Order: sequence, then structure tokens, then C-alpha cells
Amino acid sequence: MTASTDYTAQEIIVVAGSKILEDRKVVFVGTGLPMVASLLAKLTHAPGLIPVFEAGAVGPPLKVGLPLSVGDSKTFTSATYLKGLNAAFEMTQRGFADIGFIGGAEVDMYGNLNSTMIGNFPDGYQKPKVRLPGSGGASDMAASCERTILIVPHDKRKFNKKLQYVTSPGFLDGSPNARYNVGLQGKGPYRVITTKAILDFDEETHRMRILQVFPGETVESVQAATGFELLVAPNVSTFPAPTVEEVRMIREDIDPTQAFVKRSPKQTSDGIDSNDQMPFLTPKNERMLHASQQS
Amino acid sequence: MEKKSGMYWTGLSPDEAREKLVNKDKSMRDKRMPLKQAVAEFIKDGDNVGIGGFVNIRQPIAITHEMVRHGFKELTLSWQSAGMAPDYLAGAMMLDPDRFSIKRIEMAYWAHEAFGLSPMFRYLAERGLIEIEDWSNYNMSARFKAGAMGLPFLPTRGPLGSDITQTSRTNVVDCPFTGRPIALLPACNPDVAIIHVQAADMYGNCIIRGTDCTCAEIAMASAHTIVTCEQLVAHELVVSNPKDVIIPFLAVDAIVEVPFGSYPGACRRHYYFDGEHIKQFHAAAETMRKEGRSDLLQAYYAENIFGVETFGDFISKFPFEKILAAQTAESFNYERLA
Repeated sequence: MTASTDYTAQEIIVVAGSKILEDRKVVFVGTGLPMVASLLAKLTHAPGLIPVFEAGAVGPPLKVGLPLSVGDSKTFTSATYLKGLNAAFEMTQRGFADIGFIGGAEVDMYGNLNSTMIGNFPDGYQKPKVRLPGSGGASDMAASCERTILIVPHDKRKFNKKLQYVTSPGFLDGSPNARYNVGLQGKGPYRVITTKAILDFDEETHRMRILQVFPGETVESVQAATGFELLVAPNVSTFPAPTVEEVRMIREDIDPTQAFVKRSPKQTSDGIDSNDQMPFLTPKNERMLHASQQS
Repeated sequence: MEKKSGMYWTGLSPDEAREKLVNKDKSMRDKRMPLKQAVAEFIKDGDNVGIGGFVNIRQPIAITHEMVRHGFKELTLSWQSAGMAPDYLAGAMMLDPDRFSIKRIEMAYWAHEAFGLSPMFRYLAERGLIEIEDWSNYNMSARFKAGAMGLPFLPTRGPLGSDITQTSRTNVVDCPFTGRPIALLPACNPDVAIIHVQAADMYGNCIIRGTDCTCAEIAMASAHTIVTCEQLVAHELVVSNPKDVIIPFLAVDAIVEVPFGSYPGACRRHYYFDGEHIKQFHAAAETMRKEGRSDLLQAYYAENIFGVETFGDFISKFPFEKILAAQTAESFNYERLA
């Protein structure tokens, strides 16, 4: 397995996301990078992975290609079960989904996500500075999947002590039984995958913790790009660079049209790319991340 | 933000929705009519309009074009996730709010997944021109389902722990059976549902391929339903397997055959997305959002909506190769015998 020396931040996210997915589990897949990661997992170590899409498809083999939407025709072909949104979410509420795979524009130390608005909340709710697409199914997945995996581009402005709007609940205020006490099901966030690291959550405090760093990053550089204090797991290791073959699969087999995994960055004057599901407020020349919050 | 104690209904109240249905002619009659007539007859200013489909899948695009040509004021729009349908309505409002206006939206998601954000949504929201009530996909689906069940609410877990409980009419109560908190969501009973399906008969019995989305719930919850279909077929064919009928004639008021009625979005078994056209439309709106220049958006509407009589005329503007490409792309997703 030759390590790649030419891969993008999105590509390592996809590889990391794929490796976290276990074979034979049910994964409720959000739009964008989670779809790419799930497909990569299915084509490599997890052929028995059972993807569920909120528009209704359960267990499609995804042999007709990468869906552009969680309601894409490609999710329906050879699905084992197919109804509509209510059925998909009712199944999740019942406990059929092991993992929910979602993203957001902003995350806090307890894994709560914002994909609704940037601005002054609550006073500015009806006139936000930047209006994001909204929850989609993300808040339902966060509420009812047994665990969730979150994708958030690593940036100080995205890793905040306090969110502007909590769209999808993580561990809430981190207090013991916080999720149970407000009526939620599931154990909450499992992993956060960013452009710099893989993080998990401390079992007691529910605070975000550095588990592995990506090549070229250190505990210090990850902390420096985070707007709150991170915990550090014992023996932080470096997540290996994607292999040449993994990068080839993403570029040639899975997302050849760059629907979600872009090869080159795009930047607009206000830092918000209209081709993105969410704003990516990074300095110029950094790789853009097209992650997902609609799930 | 409204207080939960002051509950208000933004479409029909459950009692009004019941009353409308009681007084409606539910006979199995020929409901075919031109789209122009259906829109004029069943949609009124101030209505709550329930929009079918999901993001850019099976959205009622032809109906939204006709609504723009007609002009409506102060509409409330309700959906779970949508893209091009509210974009067309919102673009009309950006150009001339005296001719077309949206008062309020109740929804989970307004964007385009692989095809980006909605410049129309950003334009209207960031200027504070519309009232917004955020929900999740399950929340909106459950609200339509409550309406379809003839109930005032459904309990869900969905918005618990989210600020959605603060900005919506969600009522979090202690469950009378478990004692744990549970969210109660008010039913959504729109005045009118707008829905596109693959096939229907002249009475309005509908067959849907691919995801059902939340279309049946929206139709059953609404006082009136306008349906466009790819194929209008014989009644005997539609009921050859009665379980295929997902929306029964009882809920439908108008049926119109409109091939490509979800284009440039996708329709299972018929055509895949035309991402290029979606991006072209968005580029015109994005110019207005960023630079305030309305000329490109104006030109888009002049050519594609106001400059044509029917949706068929709009589709006729696309080169044959383009239409064929959309069909061919879908044939890779779903191969079918002729």
C-alpha cells in the first residue's frame, strides 16, 4: 500500500470517514462527503455496510454510482426497502440506525452542530447574517441514531465555544445524562472528522478530544485552529495518509465529476461558495471542503 | 418569535381542514384540466401551499412556473427539503414583490446538495423579507402526517435538544406515559398541495416511483391538491395493482399531464438532473444577491417563464440532445424495457 503524497483535505476526510464505518452496520448517510465515504467503505473493507437515505432508500448496493442527493434515483435502484421520509425517520427513531453520518457549519466542544444560520441569535433569527440551508434531516439523525459521526472543516471560526444556533444536538451542555434528560435517544457523537484530525469525546466530561492527527498536523496545530480547549487522548497517533489506490478510487471510481470531492479550491469574495452547502470561511488557497449538513 | 402559549395555525386549523373536506365533492370524476385553470381555480392569495418532492427530486416545477405567471401574494410555503420549486417562486418575488410574494416559509432545508446553496433563499432571508420557521425533515414530514391523520399534533423526538424548539411552535411536554420529555409538533394542513408524480389516471389516482417523499401525506392533509404527471394513463392500468396507488382520487382536485414537469430537477425512471441549467438559473440570482443587478434574473424569467404560454413551451426551448441526455442519464440509474 503506497502512501499518496498528493491528496486533498477532502480526500483524507473521506478515507478517515470510510475507515470508521464498520462492516455490517446500518449507517444513515447524509449528503456530500458522507456519501463518498460510505461508498468507499462499501467498495473496500465493508461490503456488508447497510446505507439508509432519508428520502427512503434502505440498503441500496449503490452500484449505479455516487448519488448527488439523498433522494437521488441512484439510491433507489435495488434498494431492499423504499418508502418515504416518514418511514426512514420512524425506523431511525425506533433504533434501526447504528450510525448517523452528518456535517455542519459550526461545532462546539460537546459536538453540537449548527447548519441553520450565522448571525445574532435569537434576535437576528429572522434576519441572519448568513442563512444556511437548515437542518434537513441532521437534527433527526442527531436525535435518534445510536451514534453520530460529524464532519466539520477545521477552522477557528467553525470550532466555537458557543454555537450561534444549535441545529443538531450532541452532548448538549456535557452534563451527565444531558441527552437522556431532554428526551433524546442514542449515545451521541462518536467521532468528529475534520481537515486536521480525528477527535472523539471524553467519556465523563463529554468534551471533544484529539484522538489522531492527520499527516503534517500536531496536537498544537490542531489546538491552534480550535476556538475552545481540546482534551488530548493518551498516545495521539498520526492517521496514515491515504494510499495511492484510495485516492485513485475516489477520483476515478467514486466521484469522477467532482460532485462533492473537489480537486481545487474555490473562493468567493465573502468566503462563501455558492457551490458549497455551507460557508467555508478560510484564508485563500486553503483547500475547500464541501461537507454536508443535509442529511 | 412567538410564545408557545399563543398557538396559531398558519394553514388550516384541524377543524377547518375537516370542514373543508366534509364540504368537498369527493366523487370520482374527470379532473383533467389545463394547468393554468388548475392554478387559478385552486390557489388563492394568502394560501398555505404544501410543496411535494424532495430537494430536486420530483418537485412540482411546472406548477411553480404557472404560479409565477399567474402572480400570488402573501403565500405561506410548507415543505421538508426543497430546491428549484421555492427558487422559482422566490426569484419572482425578488424581481417584483407586488406581483408575487411569499410571506412565510416552514421547512427543514432549502438548498441543492451537490448543486450548492440557494441564492434566492439567502437574498430573502438575509434581508429579512420572509418569516422563517425552521424544522427538520422528520418534523415537517410528521406535521404533514398529523394533518393527514386528522390529528392536531404528532409526538416526535426530532427537535429535542435543538434550537428548533425555540424558534418553532414545537411544544415540549412530559410524556403522560413515560414521564420523559417529548416534542409535540402541530399538524400542517395546507390550503393546497402541489405535487408531481410519474403516472395518474383522469380521476387523480397517482402512482409514484422511487421515493414517496412526503407527497401522500401532503395531499391527504391539504384541502385541495393539484397534481401534474409524466404520463396520464387509463384508470384500469393505474388500479391493476391497487397498492400502487399512493395518492387516491379522493384527495385530488386537478390532474394535468405535464411531461418533464420536474425538469431541470430529476424524476425517477424518466430523467436525471440538468445541473447545468440549475447553475445557470442560480448564477442569475446570485448576481442579484451580490451586486443588486436584476438584469440577468429578469432576462431568465422573461425568456423562460413570462415569454412562454405553457411549461411545454419552456421544455421546447431545450435542444433535443439535452433532453435526450437527461433521459439517457436516468436510464443508467434505472434500466427499463421500452
